[in-house]
Amino acid sequence: MPLLPGLLLLPVLLRLSLDLHSGGLNLVLQFWQAALQPSLNPLLLRSLLNAVSTTLLMAVLSWLISTGAGFILGLLCSRRVAALFGGSGWMSTWLRHLLAPFRAIHELVWGLLFLQLFGLNGWVAVLAISLPYSALMARVLADQIDNRSSSAVQALKSGGATAASTLFTAVLPETAGGLLSHSGHRLDCAVRSAVLLGVFGLGGIGTDLALSLQSLRFHEVWSGLWVLAMLMFVLDRLRRRPQLLAVVAVLSLASATSQLDLSFPQVTSPLLNMSGEQLLGALQETPWAELIGGTLLVTVAAATIAVGLPPLMLLLTLQRRSLRQLLWALMRLIPVPLTALLLLFVFQPSPVLAAVALGLHHSGVMGRVMEDDLDECSSLQAEALLQLGAGQRSAVLYGRLGPISRPYLAYGLVRLDVILRDTAVVGMVGGAGLGWQLIDALGSFHWALVLLLLLAYAALTISGEVVSGWMQTTWGCKAVEA
Amino acid sequence: MPAQQSKTVAWSCLLAGVALTAALFGCSSTTPGGDTTTLRIGAIPDQNPEKLNRLYDTLSDELSDQLDVPVKYVPVSNYAAAVTAFRSGSLDLVWFGGLTGVQARLQTPGSQVLAQRDIDAEFTSVFIANGASGLKPITSSDQLVQLKGKRFAFGSESSTSGRLMPQYFMKQNGISPDDFAGGRPGFSGSHDATIAVVQSGAYEAGALNSQVWDSHVEDGRIDPEKVSEIWRTPTYADYHWVAAAKLDQRFGEGFTNRLQEALIGIEPDTERRRTILDLFGAEAFIPAADGDYVAIEAVGRELGKIR
Repeated sequence: MPLLPGLLLLPVLLRLSLDLHSGGLNLVLQFWQAALQPSLNPLLLRSLLNAVSTTLLMAVLSWLISTGAGFILGLLCSRRVAALFGGSGWMSTWLRHLLAPFRAIHELVWGLLFLQLFGLNGWVAVLAISLPYSALMARVLADQIDNRSSSAVQALKSGGATAASTLFTAVLPETAGGLLSHSGHRLDCAVRSAVLLGVFGLGGIGTDLALSLQSLRFHEVWSGLWVLAMLMFVLDRLRRRPQLLAVVAVLSLASATSQLDLSFPQVTSPLLNMSGEQLLGALQETPWAELIGGTLLVTVAAATIAVGLPPLMLLLTLQRRSLRQLLWALMRLIPVPLTALLLLFVFQPSPVLAAVALGLHHSGVMGRVMEDDLDECSSLQAEALLQLGAGQRSAVLYGRLGPISRPYLAYGLVRLDVILRDTAVVGMVGGAGLGWQLIDALGSFHWALVLLLLLAYAALTISGEVVSGWMQTTWGCKAVEA
Repeated sequence: MPAQQSKTVAWSCLLAGVALTAALFGCSSTTPGGDTTTLRIGAIPDQNPEKLNRLYDTLSDELSDQLDVPVKYVPVSNYAAAVTAFRSGSLDLVWFGGLTGVQARLQTPGSQVLAQRDIDAEFTSVFIANGASGLKPITSSDQLVQLKGKRFAFGSESSTSGRLMPQYFMKQNGISPDDFAGGRPGFSGSHDATIAVVQSGAYEAGALNSQVWDSHVEDGRIDPEKVSEIWRTPTYADYHWVAAAKLDQRFGEGFTNRLQEALIGIEPDTERRRTILDLFGAEAFIPAADGDYVAIEAVGRELGKIR
């Protein structure tokens, strides 16, 4: 089943081969050669180190805030906790629905919006990441608590324990493990979000990368990429050691004030003076069907590439796990606009190319999910198949890929709405849609259109969630949120 | 409770605790809103933005020495962000493009144009074409129609020379953005990237800042077989320095005038000043006024980039 999306790769390859032109091959070569000789200019390195600590700080701060806020909100959203305290649970259900829009709008969109409201301020990025992440964390915690039922809670309650003590001695301990590993994963996500926000002008290493890329200084781009790679490597090592993570968090907090302007933001809201006439005008002048259709097309194509590529690579490389992991890390490392530009050097622009650029980046994330799933799943089935005389490939296909295919595909569905928002960054390859329109509207300070586009986004993601929720129930499995 | 579990709980509680402290700490560590005694300057990311970001000390030190006030450079990497930062008072003096400068002034009452470069009063864009595109040099602007049906690339969406003016001149000759192959133009993101995507053949033609094009040609970075200039636009006013309102109130009577004089007075006589002029690609800065950008404002409104 996970190989099905891979079928789409055929027409994509066909289309790409038609669009192939070798005009920029030397540029692509230059880019990869630059990987081995990044610029070591001391001015640049100093600037990069400053920038990477700003990025880390944004990520850590928003991660801490969203973990804290998500924890409290999660308890409030949980029907089981409500029942413990004698509530009926409808409030928790409603709160859960209330939080959905916050989850639905991508941090980049929040970031661009807050930038307009608050100007340049350290809180813009932190707030932009914290909002959706808190809502997500709340949902994960509430789900974890509500999907369990234990005798310990019953025992404690009948023993006359208070609700609060039951919560802390019975309910929370059972969820603590899963919660910790999830929050570790969120930090990695927060770093990538902070980088992406930087690419759009909110500071940190993303900003430096974007600026060097604008001038096509590949040696400098690679200095930035290597610094970023080191950061991601270190964080990945720390992922399973929350103690060390806590230390890193405290240390980076200590340097917070010197790195980021965290003064209280001054609200200047142009969104408030908007007339109904402007809204109507924006509604009429925009080709909505075309925009939404184009966006959905690119999203779905990109998602199939992202989901289809990892299993295909698994079958091609079989035991060479470290090779694959290097590939996934590289895909995640290179920001989408850069992938898009590199592809443009050798292919003609088309929506397909936009989908490929997005798909490749997200295949890095899907690849890592697949490897993690494979690690956690026993290889007994595959060995049994081998013993029975199956070939290497079919043993991997049926014995290893088979068991993980459901959670893997379910996760792919969750990934869909991240990709949807990322379509904004591929304007240069002709994959224009809602996201590109949003960036142009922000650049024109056309607030009526900005508001409408945000509503369109929210509507798309919420309906996407409904559909993916329905499909998950049909397949009988729940995605592990990540 | 098993030891392992209690340890995990302890760590999660610690994490949650740190998180709450962070939230509180963050909210309370507010230094007073705007520091009014420092002059904060910025620039749109247009030419050599990565260098400007690293060498900003040169400009802020120069102005600080001239004006005897502390000067801080605030890096900005996005056109719209620079406009917003200016409006919200995070920046006092900004190097804007033609369009962004007008947008910023319209949103910030009381702000004014101070200076432009020697080349900005009569700035131009160039149209370039890939060798294999079959596009011929254009002698009069009505021949722009040959761009219909071609793959065409602009630079950044808010760029005056890389998007606004080229789109305007094409509109004058009956070409709209949906006449291009694929029904829309591409946006390469920068002038350098526009050259690269046209030279590689991904796009058949594109438009960019003529200064960037000329310096590429001079440095021998252009392969004339692969990409060449086909048309140069009529002139228009572009990049300029815009100062915020009420600087005189904050820094003393006549400060805005002194600021203008300091900018205009930058000559290539010291190492630092040469670096500054080099960064901005200028021989000198000359006085400029709001009225110089009336035409740009009209074009901006016509194309919907100014509302």
